[in-house]
Amino acid sequence: MSVVPMTTTPIEIEPPVSLWRDAWHRLRRNRLAVFGLIVVVILAFAAIFGPYLTPYDFLSQDLNSRNMAPSLSHLFGTDDLGRDVFSRVVYGTRTAFLVAIVVTFIAVLIGVTLGALAGFFGGWLDRIVMWLTDMTMSIPNLLLVVVINASLKSPITSWMESRYLATLNPVYRETIWVDFLLVFGSMALISWPPYARLVRAQVLSIRSRPYITAAQALGLTNRIILMRYVVPNALGPLIVAVSAGLGTAMVLESAFSFLGVGVNPPTPSWGNMISDGLRVWQHYPHLLAAPAAVLGLASVAFSFLGDGLNDALNPRGAK
Amino acid sequence: MMMANDIRPEPSAKTGERLLDVKGLTIEIETRNGPATIVDGIDLHVDKGETLGIVGESGCGKSLTMLSMMRLLPNKIKVTKGEANFAGRDLQKMSNSELRKVRGGEVGFIFQDPMTSLNPVMRIGQQLAEPLIYHRGMSKAEARKRAGELLKLVGIPGAEDRLDAYPHELSGGMRQRVMIAIGLACNPQLLIADEPTTALDVTIQAQIVDLVKDLRDKLGMSVVWITHDLALIAGLVDRINVLYAGTVVEDAPVDALFANPSHPYTQGLLASIPKLSDERSARLSSIGGTPPEPGRRPKGCPFAPRCPLVEAICHERVPTLEGLNHDGAHRVACFVAQRKLEAA
Repeated sequence: MSVVPMTTTPIEIEPPVSLWRDAWHRLRRNRLAVFGLIVVVILAFAAIFGPYLTPYDFLSQDLNSRNMAPSLSHLFGTDDLGRDVFSRVVYGTRTAFLVAIVVTFIAVLIGVTLGALAGFFGGWLDRIVMWLTDMTMSIPNLLLVVVINASLKSPITSWMESRYLATLNPVYRETIWVDFLLVFGSMALISWPPYARLVRAQVLSIRSRPYITAAQALGLTNRIILMRYVVPNALGPLIVAVSAGLGTAMVLESAFSFLGVGVNPPTPSWGNMISDGLRVWQHYPHLLAAPAAVLGLASVAFSFLGDGLNDALNPRGAK
Repeated sequence: MMMANDIRPEPSAKTGERLLDVKGLTIEIETRNGPATIVDGIDLHVDKGETLGIVGESGCGKSLTMLSMMRLLPNKIKVTKGEANFAGRDLQKMSNSELRKVRGGEVGFIFQDPMTSLNPVMRIGQQLAEPLIYHRGMSKAEARKRAGELLKLVGIPGAEDRLDAYPHELSGGMRQRVMIAIGLACNPQLLIADEPTTALDVTIQAQIVDLVKDLRDKLGMSVVWITHDLALIAGLVDRINVLYAGTVVEDAPVDALFANPSHPYTQGLLASIPKLSDERSARLSSIGGTPPEPGRRPKGCPFAPRCPLVEAICHERVPTLEGLNHDGAHRVACFVAQRKLEAA
């Protein structure tokens, strides 16, 4: 093995620092972002393990202890049916996370695919995707959800009930997931445009960078270039958008449930708990305060985390 | 010399056989006022084992010719006429999948800016392995081993440890070495170096030139080196083509070009290189004016408006590349120079 004579002075060899580890160091220095991250981790933990850890079942009623103020046995008190509010808030976390993750996941999947294809290939594909994006953005999400509730939900639910009575097939017994599928499925289908626009803009700027020409000069296929050169470089801003998007989706879920078009009782959601609490807040303020405070905390935490990620992943933009 | 053997056995001597033969390549760009010609019927050739230097000022179509030859330019810029034969096959007529095999597999590229020509989110080992996996069908482990060898070949200290580094952890010179290693990964027959040293400081420039020279001799490939710095490549290339406004104005073996620059543009270029013997108070020599904009090419010789020796005929007809009497290998596209040498 022969080596070309070396004329350089040796450079210092230090352990490789990845872009992500670098970003993590910057994130750790941002107090608000760390606060956001901790809250998000606690909420995620509650969403996953909460129902196994809470002292009471979220449905079990105790009519002897209704509307009790917060105490050691009931941390957030009890509601008008004697259900433990803490357990319900924890279960509401699961509802919120489930909705937020499913909605964001579908929206990101659609948005990234369409945006990346449109930006990379341009031409007629770009025009069609952008036209679709503009069209979808013009649909107000609240209106769409109300329309779907009013038109599709009850026929599908009653069809399922009749199928269950006819066949006794357990597939048709639970109608709760129809709520999720219809309401939040439709939410996902209209919340992808921001992701598509973001990714398209990123791809447009990345496409003209020298390393893309260099990759083409290596004879790599468009598929490899798109998957390994373009999309990974567009990921930073996307992660920020996803973090903010998760928070937004949670607030939306609560808003819909608050208005009675989201998750139906008795499944606990922060939104429908706030709605119930609002009617009696003069007498039992804890029924409103507990779910509202947690919703506010979650929303703020996601936005701090999103801002922190934004600074961490775009070091040039940070002061 | 195990390395050289398993790479390619041929000797590095010139064979006189054409490897790259570009004939009458015309490149147009779409503008708001319709198509404008940037490169006008350019002729170039590179023999097997030969090193060709392409020289000219910014915007004269040096990089453009090479990039469009490999069909690497955006859709706005199109090759409208001519052919580019590589090893007997026309690159312009190839299918995309054939072309992909040539790119990276048979023709390696080194780009101008080492700071932005590497994918910032991919470890350099992976970037080196990519063409090996794709063109040579190597397994990941084989490709990684070979990537380590390549880094060693281009003189990167601690090569194996550097495989897991990201581009931003390397200095400019190191990155350019990585770029060279990537260009060489599949043992190309032709290496196209597009101003690979412009972004580097002078000592590193010399190292990179020496490195490419060593590798060329060792691997026996042909090299096209694009630059605007004549002095830098004097010791590297066999032959120089001087480009002006998208045409070759002078084509000469390197010694002949320096000894007897015949085109007034070449003379101007050489005169504009500052020399140590110059008076300190002397002004640096330059060529007045600017090259013609695409779409506004003069009718005759494109250099006529800036030429100190201009005559009436220069505004009327376009001179063609003609071999000079005493030396057929030295060709120039200039009426005045041709006449002068015929008279001599």
